[in-house]
Amino acid sequence: MAVASQEHAWRAQRRSEQALGLLARVIGLLIVAAILARAVSVSLNENYPLTFWVSQLVNGLVLGGVYALVALGYTLVYGILLMINFAHGEVMMVGGVAGFFGLQIARSLGWLDGGAAALGLLFALLAGMGVAALTGVTLERVAYRPLRGAPRLVPLISAIGASLFLQYSVLLIFGVRPMVYQRPALIADGLRAGPVFVPYTGLIIFVTSLLLMGMLVAIVQYTRLGRAMRAVATDKEAAALMGVDVNQIIALTFLLGSALAGAAGVMLGFHNSVIKFNSGFIPGLKAFTAAVLGGIGNIPGAMVGALVLGVAESIGPSALGIPAEYRDIIAFSVLVLVLIFRPAGLLGEVVVEKRA
Amino acid sequence: MSKLNRKYPFNAFVTLSVCALVLAACAAPAQPAAPTQPSATEAPAPAQPTEAPAQPAADSGVVVVTAGGKIRIGGSFALTGPIPDPGKDIRQGAEIAIDDANAAGGVNGFLLELVAEDGACSGDQGTVVGNKFAADPTIVAVTGGTCSGETFGLKPILQRARIPFVSPSATNPAITSEDCDVCNRVALSDALQGQVDAEFVYNELGFRKVAVMHDSSDYGKGVAEIFRDAFVKLGGEVVAFEGAKVGDTDFRAPLTKIGVSQPELIFFGGYATEAALIAQQMREVAGLEKTKFMGTDGAYTQQYLDTAGSAAEGTFMSYVAGDTQADKLSAFKEKYIAKFGIEPEKLGPFHAQSYDSVLLIVEAIKKVAKTDSAGNLLIEREALIKAIRETSGLAGITGTLTCNPIGECGAGGVQVFTVENGAFKQVYGFGLR
Repeated sequence: MAVASQEHAWRAQRRSEQALGLLARVIGLLIVAAILARAVSVSLNENYPLTFWVSQLVNGLVLGGVYALVALGYTLVYGILLMINFAHGEVMMVGGVAGFFGLQIARSLGWLDGGAAALGLLFALLAGMGVAALTGVTLERVAYRPLRGAPRLVPLISAIGASLFLQYSVLLIFGVRPMVYQRPALIADGLRAGPVFVPYTGLIIFVTSLLLMGMLVAIVQYTRLGRAMRAVATDKEAAALMGVDVNQIIALTFLLGSALAGAAGVMLGFHNSVIKFNSGFIPGLKAFTAAVLGGIGNIPGAMVGALVLGVAESIGPSALGIPAEYRDIIAFSVLVLVLIFRPAGLLGEVVVEKRA
Repeated sequence: MSKLNRKYPFNAFVTLSVCALVLAACAAPAQPAAPTQPSATEAPAPAQPTEAPAQPAADSGVVVVTAGGKIRIGGSFALTGPIPDPGKDIRQGAEIAIDDANAAGGVNGFLLELVAEDGACSGDQGTVVGNKFAADPTIVAVTGGTCSGETFGLKPILQRARIPFVSPSATNPAITSEDCDVCNRVALSDALQGQVDAEFVYNELGFRKVAVMHDSSDYGKGVAEIFRDAFVKLGGEVVAFEGAKVGDTDFRAPLTKIGVSQPELIFFGGYATEAALIAQQMREVAGLEKTKFMGTDGAYTQQYLDTAGSAAEGTFMSYVAGDTQADKLSAFKEKYIAKFGIEPEKLGPFHAQSYDSVLLIVEAIKKVAKTDSAGNLLIEREALIKAIRETSGLAGITGTLTCNPIGECGAGGVQVFTVENGAFKQVYGFGLR
């Protein structure tokens, strides 16, 4: 009798869950349909030329490339530690600051003249990646590792503290004045295809982010380090029993993710000219959104999510006929909608609650 | 475990995380605003006994400076935020004014002191600073804020606390109003700047089709709207009115949109960094190859020139200039350079207005301050508010200062500059020879 009523309750619950899920999907589709209808009606009204959309697409892909590099770091750390490293945007900013000084050094050594400019740029990029990697590993050691066994909100608060610490350290050391990247002549121009202009900096961002993501996938899928990372992600204790040095793997994960963020910081500096103490905050949040959008913990998902978000942000205001200053709202509305209707993200990685 | 249950923890976790982060980030720069305590500075109340027995029976409407104490003038400066250099410049200008007043013997032998706070060019932080001053019964008057948004934060709080303020550089027209007797400024209003800028673009440059951008700040959006309306009234066409945010670094999306209608000029209301980045990025955008760029006084700084680099060449910038007295300015600059080791123009344009704001306050204090038998200095708040508003014919660095009935005290006019070989050169407007 008891068993039967239990089963009955279980079924009722199951049915109501299914009904709710269906309802959520229907509402989600309705919202998407409404947005599309609005976009179509606005673009028919405004009568923009095709090259306009292509230009906006280029702007969006470049923006997405930057988000992607940062989002990969979020996703890597989440995949392994199930924590969101909210200081990751600031790691990017620190990389950008280091890249600025790398560029100044390269300039004073005369590495930016003529053909050697590529060397100078590479130096700035490596400086940014190196310092960012160091920052990330230090963060992990100081702010996260001591809290590894703690409830999950604790390292999160620690991450917010670390984020503020990095921001205001840079503020106090280097001041509030933005640091201005002066583009060397080599990358000052761009490709021009009719009225569509692709700045070299944007091209470099896009190509580099694809390359670095490819490398990351290769590392995670085909190397011993990657196998160890996946093992730690699946089950820390079991991995440790199999002889994997868990602490080392986690530190290396932070190293990889932070180096990518550092690269993003330097390239953002070249693309948008200025870096200052709070430059990492909004891109960090956007990259986090991108990671959730693609399916957090999923590497290609982060890339796809970032590109979708970048394009949505740059095309969105024109397509939906809303003022451009609301573009952040587009990004964060996407975050909210994804969390409500597709919490597993676009690429649908099922997030298993490992700590439950 | 059901499918939903597997998803929920992550869901809730992320939502919570984002909330926490956003809260932390917002709370960080602006310290929690101290609630305005019904302190001794609140509106005239029946005589409250003060703790110090040595003091005469003072009511809340009177600031008492005990013998040997200093007269404290508050200052709200944008030391962080989008325009740190001009903020610093304004603070240093105020310090020189305080030094000068003290060197001349202060007020009835009492020396003055500047209490500088960071208004951060934001309304939030302006509110924090305003509450700080309102809670401090020794603050006599306030110079600042630097930015319009910041000053809108100060305005209602100082109005309630009966502390008069004089802003050296906030230009939004609504800073002064008929219902605010404590609100004054030395800078000229954007009602004038937007109008003159529109006349310059329409008559002098002969442009008929422009686009307008702003940074959504009280200052930037305000001046952009005035320009837009004035330009339309002159008969021109405004093809786009696009916003961005203070702190944005990528303007390619709105610029691409503007490029479709190929305007002859982009007018931007906002601060230096954003102006410089727009001037730089618009050269990449189709349809804007020949388009000129014009900014306003918030961007009229060395920082603009440094950030924009070669993209600054040929751009226009307007500024609400004082009726500068050359001899006074050079004496001021000498002291400034001796004290701070830098030319004021390298930081920002409003140092002279800042000097005059403090001068105006000090001269008004001189008129109303009384010394009592115990050697204390008494400054009646209502009398000081009136005295500042009644300022007339005061010789400052930026001309002869006379406050009108709503608190517009500045002299001078709007100037328009262009950038030539990395320096500003005046091409139009007030005082052009």
